[in-house]
Amino acid sequence: MSGSDQALAQRDANVRRIVYDAFISRGVAALRAEVAAQLSLPDPDIAASFERLAEGHVLVLQPESREILMANPFSAVPTSFQVTSGAKSWWGNCIWDALGIIAMIGGNGAVETSCPDCGEALTLTVEDGHLLGTEAIAHFAVPAARWWDDIVFT
Amino acid sequence: MLLFRSEEHARNWSTRWNQPEGSLLSTEQAWGLAIAWYSEDRREPGWRRKTLGEAQEIFAGLGLILGFWKL
Repeated sequence: MSGSDQALAQRDANVRRIVYDAFISRGVAALRAEVAAQLSLPDPDIAASFERLAEGHVLVLQPESREILMANPFSAVPTSFQVTSGAKSWWGNCIWDALGIIAMIGGNGAVETSCPDCGEALTLTVEDGHLLGTEAIAHFAVPAARWWDDIVFT
Repeated sequence: MLLFRSEEHARNWSTRWNQPEGSLLSTEQAWGLAIAWYSEDRREPGWRRKTLGEAQEIFAGLGLILGFWKL
């Protein structure tokens, strides 16, 4: 890896840290301008970093604004999977990601969603890393090898 | 990746919306997948995405060995 490649990799790691810290600590997606301010870099440098991270499947960007749509397991926009832990809340991209948020923040929290077939409210609760009993079923429609063909649908 | 009340509800929904049957996981399997995939701190400089081999091992460890889970 050349010196410039190493510098870009370091920059991307810094951007990733800021993005995940914003989601974990504040429950929000960091905007490019906020990341640029924190790193004292111009917006085009952060835009380029977002694109590299998206190319590497670390981020998913919104189609027009190119701001963050997803930093898995977090969603920047409301979804059918709300996660709460204490006074904090987040949106997960799917049931796997919603549980992933709880795994990422330390193993205590709840996922609220509803059955797509009948609309019944469903809650999964995790306490101290243990999922409490439930009879619900997770459904994966897209085979694993094709998840990134259309990650928003997946 | 959705959560249904039961297998019956998942199959009803798949039929109604012409979706593939896909793969059904217990909530314990889904939680296991969440832990294996997301427990690492992605703020750490050394974090990296899992390799295909690592991902395949995680799936196999949770009993997800059908073609649906092949990467």
